[in-house]
Amino acid sequence: MGAAIETENLTKDFLVGFWRPRPYRALDALTLEVDAGEVFGFLGPNGAGKSTTLKLLMQLIFPTAGSARILGRPAGDVAVRKRIGFLAENPYYYDYLTAEEVLTYFARLFDLKDVHTRVSKVLDEVGIGGERRLRLRQFSKGMLQRVGLAQAILNEPEVVFLDEPMSGLDPIGRREVRDLILRLRARGCTVFFSSHILSDAETLCSRVAIMAQGRLAASGRISELVAFEPKGWELVVSGIEDALHGELAPRVAAMRPMSHGRYTIHLAATDRPEQLMTELRGRGARVESLNPIRDTLEDFFMQQIASAQQRDTSRL
Amino acid sequence: MRAIVLVAGAVFRESVRDRVPYSMVVFAVLLMAASYLISQLTAGQDLKIIKDLGLASIAIFGLLIAVFIGIGLVSKEVERKSVYGLLTKPVTRSQFILGKYAGLVLTLAINIAAMVVAYYAVLYYMDVTASAATRAGWPAPAMDPRLLLATLLIFAELAVITAVALFFSTFTSPLLAILLTLGLWIAGQFNADLRNFENVIDAPAAIWVAKVLYYVLPNLAPFNIKAEVVHGFPVSMRHVGLTLLYAAVYAGMLLVAAAAIFRRRDFK
Amino acid sequence: MTVTRIVPANLSLYTAIAALMAVSISLQVVRDRGWQPYTPPDGVMWIRSGEVARRLALGFDNLAADVYWMRAVVYFGGQRISSEGKTFAQLFPLLDLVTSLDPHFNVAYRFGAIFLAEPHPGGAGRPDLAIELLKKGVANNPTRWEYVLDIGFIHYFSMQDYTLAADWFNRARAIKGAPEWLGPLAATTLAEGGSRESSRKLWTELRNSNADVDWLRAQADRRLKQLDAMDQIDQLNVVTRRFVERTGRAPLHWGEVATMERWRALPTDPSGMLYGLDQETGRVSLSEGSPLWPLPQGAAARQRP
Repeated sequence: MGAAIETENLTKDFLVGFWRPRPYRALDALTLEVDAGEVFGFLGPNGAGKSTTLKLLMQLIFPTAGSARILGRPAGDVAVRKRIGFLAENPYYYDYLTAEEVLTYFARLFDLKDVHTRVSKVLDEVGIGGERRLRLRQFSKGMLQRVGLAQAILNEPEVVFLDEPMSGLDPIGRREVRDLILRLRARGCTVFFSSHILSDAETLCSRVAIMAQGRLAASGRISELVAFEPKGWELVVSGIEDALHGELAPRVAAMRPMSHGRYTIHLAATDRPEQLMTELRGRGARVESLNPIRDTLEDFFMQQIASAQQRDTSRL
Repeated sequence: MRAIVLVAGAVFRESVRDRVPYSMVVFAVLLMAASYLISQLTAGQDLKIIKDLGLASIAIFGLLIAVFIGIGLVSKEVERKSVYGLLTKPVTRSQFILGKYAGLVLTLAINIAAMVVAYYAVLYYMDVTASAATRAGWPAPAMDPRLLLATLLIFAELAVITAVALFFSTFTSPLLAILLTLGLWIAGQFNADLRNFENVIDAPAAIWVAKVLYYVLPNLAPFNIKAEVVHGFPVSMRHVGLTLLYAAVYAGMLLVAAAAIFRRRDFK
Repeated sequence: MTVTRIVPANLSLYTAIAALMAVSISLQVVRDRGWQPYTPPDGVMWIRSGEVARRLALGFDNLAADVYWMRAVVYFGGQRISSEGKTFAQLFPLLDLVTSLDPHFNVAYRFGAIFLAEPHPGGAGRPDLAIELLKKGVANNPTRWEYVLDIGFIHYFSMQDYTLAADWFNRARAIKGAPEWLGPLAATTLAEGGSRESSRKLWTELRNSNADVDWLRAQADRRLKQLDAMDQIDQLNVVTRRFVERTGRAPLHWGEVATMERWRALPTDPSGMLYGLDQETGRVSLSEGSPLWPLPQGAAARQRP
């Protein structure tokens, strides 16, 4: 099974500055492989080169060096576009056409059979109901995002590219997109999406790549990147009187008040939480929850960004 | 090929909803009002004035449609990023350009046709309400089919201008594209004067430059046979044929150039 | 600075563009050889009124004046070479417009002075309009003695009114900054008005004081050559009269005269063209094909022994 998406030393320089334009390296020698059927998270802060990479893959812009392939064909191959879908960040289509008309137009470009049924189905799937007959002029940002998703999956693609698919959506919308991605995964579709919201990546992705300042900072399975062993324990307790607080505070790693009598207690990894829990119950306090503290992707992410920045400054 | 037709269809549908029909209505109403007013004010010259006014309106309104919608087709789309949706579908960038052009030319044709219908309606009214004596004095009939010939050349001229608009909008901002296109239209009207430069100026270098410009820039004066048609003077069909061919070739060249530029553009 | 990009090749497209351009040029060449749309010989001036033009120019009066000036030049040149109906009818309206938009447009006044007054086929043959234009120039530019001088000129050459001409020369002299030779010029005009000598003096002065204006200098040179031609014609007429007296008939061609007078070459006018010889009367005249033709009429043509 070949890779669904591959890049090799993909590099992009832009000219910046008006009076004396200088080259700016937005993407530096990116080499990546995404297997078929994976959900791949392409993560990084703004300006890290994520959008640039996606545009290079779609050949909306041309590389300075390196190459990219989708489903074994070079990026920009027109035939392969029948088998892929793309959602741009903040998509915008045609003011004067309705959602239905835009999708019908695209469906015809894809040369699909049963255009009408397909369009209808896809609109249902992204949650656009009666609004489908309205002109896109009248759509809100969230609705436009849905139209964008619709046109990305219209042709039942093998690979879907999503640039910040959650942007502009409220929590309900975000949940729906997450569910859509999971459905796509279940169908065997490869999903490549970029985001700066890491919690989504944690739940959805099998593998991730972290970009910082145009370079690949790290990539691999989340489970490999982020240690699984707990770093510590977090307890939420209530019914703690001031006296008890004073006694406990020096014994634990951290104790933070939440509201009257409620505290968050952090214990080191080496401590045994069971002992404290028994003691607290004996003293009349209540333990509301106990959770292990693990490295999240976010922590890992911040570490990578920080070291990438250090690398850069040390190089200067 | 299919892709071009589909893109053209989408362009047409969008421009039909884009207030363009209103300009047609405005024109038609303008013409009706003008003809009523004029028939009250002047004596004898009203047919000529209506014919002149009609052709001029078709030319000007047509120009405005060609320039403003033509620029919007590419420049605006690139600015608003709606071009991403289309360029990631199974359409090549060249098909995109050709489809946009075809759609606009279709829009132009339909608009001009509607204006011509209104025009002939007014001319019919003139014809029907005029006395036999007045009719005898006209150098050309009111519903002269040669007016269609003049309109055809106007349409061909506008097809060239649309190609100019499309060409500029592949690489400049909408505002600049509008200015450059209108500038070239104005230059195109005076282009014929460049041919006579050698009779007026002495410097051989300037004459050579003028000749080059004459051939390279669009030469729009030959498309203008309004005076002949209105006065009833003869028009050479060879001239018409060669001019139409010139329009096709020149517009074709601009489209190839537009495609060449568009194919290599970065859409950041 | 540029950055490299890996872009699709455009060679076939560039070839197509070149080919299509070549075809469009050939089409134009072929079409231009045939019927052309009607262009009225004088063109149409939609705006004739200076006031209207100034309003429409929206503050860009000077620029509009420049544009109309260029149009006047092209018009003039076009009329000059056109084979039918040289009327120069638009010249005055155009120059009037230019000077309404920009009342200090010096060269327009001087150009008008010469070429409005110049008779057909070299100019419009309307000295009255030339004077009107110059009077406007004087009104707007009272320190320009050249315009007053030019009015005097027109009275002298075109209307042959030497009293008025001298009067205007004196007025020109009265303006501050005017050259000294205007005084003697006025006197000579009064005294010998119309003589070739005073004409010669006038043109020489005009030529020298306007050494930088090409067409003015060219015109002055031409006039001077015409005066030389007239002198030569007078001398040649003396010779041919002698021939007639001696032989009892007019010479058949210059060769006969050359033999009799032992000339080394045949007589040509200052432009190099052979003089015409009337075979019946023996009178010498300027050949009609000469660039100096026609010679000025009027008093200046009077012979001075």
